[in-house]
Amino acid sequence: MFESLFISLQLALVTMVILLCIALPLAYLLAFKSFKGRTMLEVVVALPLVLPPTVLGYYVLLMIEPHSMLGTIWFTLFDSSLAFSFSGMVFASVLYSLPFAVQPMQQAFRSIPRPWLELAKIQGLNIKYTLLKVILPASKGGVLVAAALSFAHTMGEFGVVLMVGGSIPGETKVASVTLFEMVEMQQQEAWMLALILLAVSFVMLSVVYSINRHGLNMVMK
Amino acid sequence: MHHLIQIHVDVGTLSLDVNVNFGNEMIVLSGENGAGKSTFLRCVAGLQEAVGQVHVGQEIWLDSSAGFALPIVQRRLGYMWSEAVLLPWLSVEKNIMLGASDVEKSWFEKLCEQFEINHLLKRKPLMLSTGEAQRVSLVRALCRKPSILLLDEPFSAQAPDIRGRLRMALQGLQQELQIPIILVSHDIEDAKVLAQHHWRMREGKLLSTINTQSNESSKEQTKVEP
Repeated sequence: MFESLFISLQLALVTMVILLCIALPLAYLLAFKSFKGRTMLEVVVALPLVLPPTVLGYYVLLMIEPHSMLGTIWFTLFDSSLAFSFSGMVFASVLYSLPFAVQPMQQAFRSIPRPWLELAKIQGLNIKYTLLKVILPASKGGVLVAAALSFAHTMGEFGVVLMVGGSIPGETKVASVTLFEMVEMQQQEAWMLALILLAVSFVMLSVVYSINRHGLNMVMK
Repeated sequence: MHHLIQIHVDVGTLSLDVNVNFGNEMIVLSGENGAGKSTFLRCVAGLQEAVGQVHVGQEIWLDSSAGFALPIVQRRLGYMWSEAVLLPWLSVEKNIMLGASDVEKSWFEKLCEQFEINHLLKRKPLMLSTGEAQRVSLVRALCRKPSILLLDEPFSAQAPDIRGRLRMALQGLQQELQIPIILVSHDIEDAKVLAQHHWRMREGKLLSTINTQSNESSKEQTKVEP
């Protein structure tokens, strides 16, 4: 039970870190640039919000199966299969939680007062320094929300990780799947795991909502 | 050193059309609300896209006939918005130093003293009064020794007594730097005391450019309907 909880936490943490790196340039593009295919990109990013997890899981499996391009590359690089592995689950989770990381950041970037961005140009800051000195400090709240939501959402996955990970004990069996099996087998300890998962989600959402409410104060201190 | 601004732009109901030459001098630009003064400054800075030519000394900043516009980050430019634009999480000192890594300490100290913000350097912008924030913005605009300074109502929030001292300070610094300063103002005193040239704008056109030192007035720009 605790083993699967540990795997869940590990998965959520790794996914969160990777997602923050991917979401930053995506949110930047969507917030500040207009280009061909913008709407398309926005739709693709938002897809996991409405897609049944099994559909996403199905396509991820197609993408990473041993004979696929990604699967082959992975095999030559690491000599292991991507499907039914922890890495495969990370890949799926990143896709699954993508909108939860991109959208809060995008929103935060968009709500930066325009003169602040103009100021960065006038003061001669290049893109890197504009990001480090103006955009990111101004969107601290949004980045924190993105981190908290992608962590919580990954903890809460069920369908995708079950399909892509395959529920191998000690490797890809996460807490939500363990809980399902415990209930099926009518094990008494299920309440404990359920309570822990509930608590994690509760804490994460509390963080999100308090940032949304008091975010400005936090940023300005 | 001669500078040239020749721009045209339509923004909403405003049709801005300006064609002026000027030297390294203090220019006061006045006119009614909505006459296009701020839009004019934004065009020169590059914050607003416009058609035409902007030459600052030897440098070409805008030449739309050749499809060229120098990126704003490469323009050595001092700019002050009509409201102080300060980043709230940085101290006053860090706000001033934003993007200004090569500033001589003595220059920085001189500016802080002349614009009376020495006691504010460690504070955060939210702890400043409107007038103080305005003076901080002015110091920041001057700090990188720009090759042109564009000021949108820089003294509007200052008390009358300090306003006089700030004018003197700005005048002295203009002499020292030998750069053009275009200062938008509604205050007739600014025009009287500061201006070497006084431009008046109405409905996006310059009505007159008066050389206040020789009292010669040139009205060749008067294209506005009576």
